[in-house]
Amino acid sequence: MKRISVDIGGTFTDCFLVWDNKYIETKALTTHQNLALGFNEAIEKAYHELNITMEDILSEVDSVRYATTLGTNALIEHNGPRIGMLVTAGFESTVVLSRGRGYGEGLDILGKNNMPDAQRPAPLVLPHMIEGVRERLDFEGKLVMPLDENDVRHKIRKLADKGAQIIVICFVNSVVNPEHEKRVEQILLEEYPSHLLGAIPVILSHRVAGRKGEYVRASSAIVDGYLHSTMYYAMTQLEQNLRAHSYAKPMLVIHNSGGMAQLNSTDALQTIHSGPVSGISAAEHLAKEADLGSVVATDMGGTSYDIGIVVEGGIKHYDFNPVIDRWLVSVPMVHLVTLGAGGGSIASYDRMYETVAVGPKSAGSDPGPACYDRGGMNPTVTDADLVLGYLDPENYAGGDIPLNPKRSTFAIEEALCDDLDVETVEAALMIKEKVDSNMANGVNTELRARGYDPEDFTMLAYGGNGPLHCCGIANHLNINKILATPMSSVFSAVGAGNMHQMHIHETSLYLVLYDSNSRHVFDNYSRFNGLVADLSERGKADLLRQGVAADDILHSLELDMRYGNQLVQTTVVIPKHTLESAIDVLNILDQFSTDYGKRFGEGSQAPEAGIRINTIRVASYIEHETVHFKHIKPVAEDKRQKPPKPAVTRACVFPGSSKPVETPVWNKNDIPAGTEIAGPGIVASEVTTYLIEKGWKYVSAEQGAVWFLREDTKN
Amino acid sequence: MNNKVNAEAVLEDQELIAKFLKETTLFLGPDPEIMQSHDIMPITDHEVECLEKYTDSHQMASIRDRMQSACDESYEMLEQMGAAPGAKWGDVITGIYSASGDLTIGSAGGVLVFSVLVHHPIKFIIKNWINEPTVGVRQGDGFIHNDSRYGNIHNTDQSMIMPIFHEGKLVCWVASTVHEGENGAIEPGGMPSMAESPFDEGLKMSPFRVVENYEIKKDILTFLQNSVREPKLQYEDMKVKLYACMRLEKRINEILSTDGPGAITACLRSTNDNVMTEVRRRITEWPDMTVRTYGTMDGTLRENALIKVNCTLTKKGNRLIFDFTGSSPEISNRAINTALPGAKGMVSQVFLNHIWPDMPRGQACFAPIEFITPPCSVVNASVDAPNSQSLMAIFLSFAVAQQAVAKFLYSVPVKYTRVIAPWYNMISTFIWGGVSQHGEMLGNLCADLNGMGGGARMDMDGEHSLAPIFAAMADIGEQEMNEEDVPFLQLVSKKMTRNTQAPGKYRGGMGYTQIVATKDSDMWGFMTTCVGSKAPSIQGLFGGYACGTYPLCKVEDVDVYDVMLKEPEKFKHSIEETMNEQPYEDAKYTTHHMGLGFSISNRGELYMISQGSGGGYGDPLERDPFLVIKDIEENLITPDWARKLYHVAFDDETLIIDEKATDKLRADYREQRKRQGLPYAEFVKKHVKSEPPKDIPFYGSWNSDMSVVYAGSNDDKRDPQNPGPIYFAHPKDVENVKLEAELESVRKEAGIPPRDNRK
Repeated sequence: MKRISVDIGGTFTDCFLVWDNKYIETKALTTHQNLALGFNEAIEKAYHELNITMEDILSEVDSVRYATTLGTNALIEHNGPRIGMLVTAGFESTVVLSRGRGYGEGLDILGKNNMPDAQRPAPLVLPHMIEGVRERLDFEGKLVMPLDENDVRHKIRKLADKGAQIIVICFVNSVVNPEHEKRVEQILLEEYPSHLLGAIPVILSHRVAGRKGEYVRASSAIVDGYLHSTMYYAMTQLEQNLRAHSYAKPMLVIHNSGGMAQLNSTDALQTIHSGPVSGISAAEHLAKEADLGSVVATDMGGTSYDIGIVVEGGIKHYDFNPVIDRWLVSVPMVHLVTLGAGGGSIASYDRMYETVAVGPKSAGSDPGPACYDRGGMNPTVTDADLVLGYLDPENYAGGDIPLNPKRSTFAIEEALCDDLDVETVEAALMIKEKVDSNMANGVNTELRARGYDPEDFTMLAYGGNGPLHCCGIANHLNINKILATPMSSVFSAVGAGNMHQMHIHETSLYLVLYDSNSRHVFDNYSRFNGLVADLSERGKADLLRQGVAADDILHSLELDMRYGNQLVQTTVVIPKHTLESAIDVLNILDQFSTDYGKRFGEGSQAPEAGIRINTIRVASYIEHETVHFKHIKPVAEDKRQKPPKPAVTRACVFPGSSKPVETPVWNKNDIPAGTEIAGPGIVASEVTTYLIEKGWKYVSAEQGAVWFLREDTKN
Repeated sequence: MNNKVNAEAVLEDQELIAKFLKETTLFLGPDPEIMQSHDIMPITDHEVECLEKYTDSHQMASIRDRMQSACDESYEMLEQMGAAPGAKWGDVITGIYSASGDLTIGSAGGVLVFSVLVHHPIKFIIKNWINEPTVGVRQGDGFIHNDSRYGNIHNTDQSMIMPIFHEGKLVCWVASTVHEGENGAIEPGGMPSMAESPFDEGLKMSPFRVVENYEIKKDILTFLQNSVREPKLQYEDMKVKLYACMRLEKRINEILSTDGPGAITACLRSTNDNVMTEVRRRITEWPDMTVRTYGTMDGTLRENALIKVNCTLTKKGNRLIFDFTGSSPEISNRAINTALPGAKGMVSQVFLNHIWPDMPRGQACFAPIEFITPPCSVVNASVDAPNSQSLMAIFLSFAVAQQAVAKFLYSVPVKYTRVIAPWYNMISTFIWGGVSQHGEMLGNLCADLNGMGGGARMDMDGEHSLAPIFAAMADIGEQEMNEEDVPFLQLVSKKMTRNTQAPGKYRGGMGYTQIVATKDSDMWGFMTTCVGSKAPSIQGLFGGYACGTYPLCKVEDVDVYDVMLKEPEKFKHSIEETMNEQPYEDAKYTTHHMGLGFSISNRGELYMISQGSGGGYGDPLERDPFLVIKDIEENLITPDWARKLYHVAFDDETLIIDEKATDKLRADYREQRKRQGLPYAEFVKKHVKSEPPKDIPFYGSWNSDMSVVYAGSNDDKRDPQNPGPIYFAHPKDVENVKLEAELESVRKEAGIPPRDNRK
């Protein structure tokens, strides 16, 4: 297998090249003015290693896949086009008001609760660029008020006169009857035909999001429209660059749904967060390959801590209404939660409870932790890690960032020691324990809210600070096994290299499987089967358009179901895609009951209140060959070798005692696979520090993977 | 000696009498001792022991974090699994209470006020049921409660309360609360304006056991389902609340297994103590002074009246005292009164969301603050007065408290958030009920109540329709979802109502128009429950203006669905166009106050209302003209309105500001103000009247005289401490009397003998 996968982040462009049996990781700085330059630089490093040309590589790889955070950055920078919007008359302020709660989306709990400070984010569509159109459909898509075409033409001209560069259309109930939205698109093309210079791109909401909810669908269409041109130009540059270097196949773009598609079959909205989602995908693949069971993937960086769940058996966790930047949208996105906890999280004195608080404020990278010596005065987690002896001030980040321990000591003393009446080291220890506990609480909530116990999970730790804090976090969770991932510096790119081409189609509907009033069980099988067949056909058509063979196409069917009038919609994966008899319906009800009981507690089911399907979703996909991680399991205990002599020793302080312990420190490159080291100890690499706490052992494996295993368990 | 013997005998007699009385109590009504107190319970010997044993504040912090995480997890369950519309928009909360019943940790999301009011029923259970042989409290028990006279805001809110035991010993309590809506009252939706006594208000559940060994008792469930219009909702949400409590219990059991019961007890007590210490410290930072504010309700939801809520706020040292003396007496047969905890709960909400949003959500945050209210007043009603529309009194209490506090905060050096003008405070939404298009009986309300406009801030405008005063991150919902369940459409759902802002240097956040019409049901109706159609329900701050007044408009004898299909051009998407142009021939156009009793609506008849604006901040003459133009551009105000209120000169076509002309307009207007101004003594002489106007039915104190309260007329002055009952006649009886008088007059003119009414 020969394949390139790339994760274009805000700072680095990570590249993962599979060249038969060779796995090559490279990095280059992201070149925002032309993403292709950073990509070329990263590839250049790879072809030097292989001693061949870029053309050789690109002409032979089966695919080039991109994951990118470009869209997220564009939203944050707020540099998109001027959007004009047409909505159903009477709903002109729906977007402006953002369901009331829009002010708090993407904020921490204090930001949400602080009402006098509440402020909605700067809008992506200015209020005066939203026009109401006279039309209305009811919840079944039946006509209430016909589309007033004169009104449409008038409003389109008005928006064009006000400088609209793109038009987004979102009519009420268009997902059950899109005719009005489609007709407006035709009128727009009549008014501004494509042969005219400056023809206006049009986004129809029902094509961006298939579920009900006029606000979330509108905001999805807006975000899509807002990013449309940015993504289009950036991606086109990348594709042209590939063409210029002999790559003749279609470029593939990673979607936040956990799949991928060709560029021409990708909405801009689907690319947001595709980098972190690729990380989850890599975790899923790793779990399957190495037989890890269920895993919780954790990525601790400088400012945040991302948590994703991969459950054995293939149950996917999606957010159907994720928050992207500050916007609540409607798109099925692989579930990922981000906590404000990282190396840069600021520690402060909690006067009320006479203890330490950590985060959510972060010193970021500028000025960064106090020890960066760039003007940061607040103590951070990294400062505490330095004071505790875990970090080498001379060789942090491969020696790129020299650390000043005096700054850390001073910052901790100033902010905490007097109030807490403790020594610096004790305060640093409190910071470490607090941030570990915060992250553990986050993992706990994530897993338990979905009905899982952390003890049943293996923790994957990656990101710059992941292997440094993972033992401390796992201690709070009773997790016994941690895998610091192989290729962790390009982990998301690895994930992108293992994704499958996939398209998700879904439809909202009011389908009662059990009517508790009439005591009737659903029997209109042809209606259900017709809907599923239609969604499957749409997915199939998407893939056929991309040159996929029809026989290779697979489908999976998911139903969002609920009891009575609940808000919650539990997603149920249904193996049988057609209904033929009452048994099939009852099987669906059983499956729903099982999944619901697992999540909310056995006995919490309420079928007596009726059972409904709100959404039918079909994922159509093809499976590609994947990268192998066969050898990363820890070798048997009796075959493990002793570590070499440590490079140095350092005085470190660990939880449980404020007395320093002379701790051995190794360079990761000196430790061959199959080595076991008992804690306490430290293994340092160019990109991270592996902290082996007391009670844990470090077991190195193939491909750079590292296991942390609890000493009192048999591993 | 004899005296001593006699004294002992008397004492013995008294004890015997007391014992007899206790044993022969007719029934356990709301307990004033419990209901009047919002303080943390006295420390117990066991708590002292635990605090001495567990002194590590970091261990306490760790336990607290885990309990907070448990509350948030169960909150999410409640919101996700709940069937009531209220559950879906966050009108829920979960909490952990000490063994003595004090709320210590509440979920970060949701309606906090519910939770701070659930300590009352828990304390009732502790006092009356734990040692009662026929009841008792055991592991696996669940107690249900909704009667607001025993705690809670109103009877729509139902709580499930569960004791947590460790090896047979009570460690703490957990509770989950949801605004359920329907409760079998005389009007659907759970908040009847028509209630004339507590017995019209539907289910009245004092705390009683409904769950044993973690199972809902089916006989009681059946009784409750038969008592309400939505048996499905009653069943679903009882179960949901139970499982949220069970999830909390599971998490607490995990903490018990790692840290033990003593550590939990110490954590709960120390959390409350620490918070109270911090609250007192913060109060000390405020300047010593007294501020007076007041607000008025312009009706009872059934008739017009001016009903006062009076607030005097005094800070001295570390004491902060809210004194509501001078507020109107309770209206004995109108539903707008509140039980005392409701008023306190809303004022605690002022502190937790609008003054100290960084404080943990628990009872301790408000416990050190003192509260004085006259008995039998609208803010401290007796148990015999209905209170199903207590929102009227408590929301006004919120507004006057918010305004008073803002005046203190202006001078406080350390602020924990911005100084803000009063938030809009009325639930401008439609309550609905009837049979849905799916044949289900429903009764509830639209989430639009959550779209109250935010007050203007010291340095920026208020946010439009942001959140209700009682919750952060509430949701005004998605109409497409609602339409699946209910048989009416919001034909205008979210469209800002022009010219309704509260002006100021920074204007209040505005509200939006809602126009609804029943479509697919022959049995459906609406009601609305707000005051403020004639007199604003909130005021501005530091020269900012009050909000507008917002009436209900109706168009009857029309089927707009016919019109929209056959003559769509006739349909108007605003109240002003519909009412001014009256586009449908033969239809009946009327305007009303916002106290619409439940009325059946025919298909296609229009009901039209608007959410309100938060108060303005500062003098409108100081408003940046560019902000004025921005509001015009966004269609929030019209050019003529901008000129009139803000005195700005600009070109109507281009909206370009003429800065010089604007300066002149404003300077001229300032001169005009000076000319209209009077020296204080003259102003008092000219404008201050010794009594309320004779033609307005006024209730409450007048000027600064707190020795009497008026009860509807200048001839009816009452003792504020013992006002006695005030009864209103049924509005239909009043109308009948009027019509009969007119009829008699016509008879007399026509020479027809008077009607014999003796039959």
